[in-house]
Amino acid sequence: MEQAMTTPLHFEDFTLGRTFAGGPYAVTKEEIVEFAREFDPQPHHLDEEAAKTSLLGGLAASGWHTCAMTMRMFADGVIAKAAARGGIGSPEGRWMKPVRPGDVLRMEAEVIATKASESKPFGFVTFACKVFNQREQVATIQMTPIVATRSGA
Amino acid sequence: MTPLYWEEIEIGGRRELGTYRFSEEEIVRFARKYDPQPFHVDPEAAKQSIFGGLIASGWHTAAIWMKLAIAERARSGGASPLLRAGVSPGYEDMRWLKPVRPGMTLRYASTTVGKVELKSRSDVAILLTRNEAHDAATGELVFAFTGKGLVQRRPR
Repeated sequence: MEQAMTTPLHFEDFTLGRTFAGGPYAVTKEEIVEFAREFDPQPHHLDEEAAKTSLLGGLAASGWHTCAMTMRMFADGVIAKAAARGGIGSPEGRWMKPVRPGDVLRMEAEVIATKASESKPFGFVTFACKVFNQREQVATIQMTPIVATRSGA
Repeated sequence: MTPLYWEEIEIGGRRELGTYRFSEEEIVRFARKYDPQPFHVDPEAAKQSIFGGLIASGWHTAAIWMKLAIAERARSGGASPLLRAGVSPGYEDMRWLKPVRPGMTLRYASTTVGKVELKSRSDVAILLTRNEAHDAATGELVFAFTGKGLVQRRPR
């Protein structure tokens, strides 16, 4: 795992396989319900009793909330160290395990693809962001490309 | 109208989900908590960024899709293909095509593009939707992704 660096990381620094840590992120019932009230007001994200009989088998965070939490861990663990200039989307996100109140998440973001722009002074770096819960189960996997400035640019 | 089972949902059906105006206050509030990059949280620093001003987190744009989809489902009178859905295994091909700036209004829509059976269970199956948000003022496509929802199958 990488340590914080003083010089921002450029496109060339993101070699295949290089892995960055993010988190921990402690998930609370209050935050799950607050996010769901605003963006995803369904019973299995809002109400413990109603959630018991849902497919999730109990109160769990909205998938979009897990994306947002992953983004926070990625922003603090990767973007903050990089000469980065924004994102372009996400080719895939897999929501594999429910994220529940009391879970403590951590992230491993591994560089899985890089592509330099042929005409511009930057390149695309794609990370596979694996989010683990405290039981070391993979809760979500999110593919996250960033645009990183080339060194000397 | 009775909510549709997975078997009854037609590929190609398109539903307008409504519009949403992004305020600076909301953009900053979301990003401070979940995506604290300077061009999402600091209007002054954002001016110096490649975006030339504050823009919404792409995840904020996505979360608003969910908000509008739930609201449309509630008022659809049984016509929404999502009435027997609620849980999702994830998404694919999410694209943030244009910056979403304070004061912009986006128009969201959802089209059913595919249906996939599950080998592991027979009570639910996957519905694929292609979801888009256009700038209501210019008509430009701003945001798109493919959603996956688990929808109840007709009991057998």
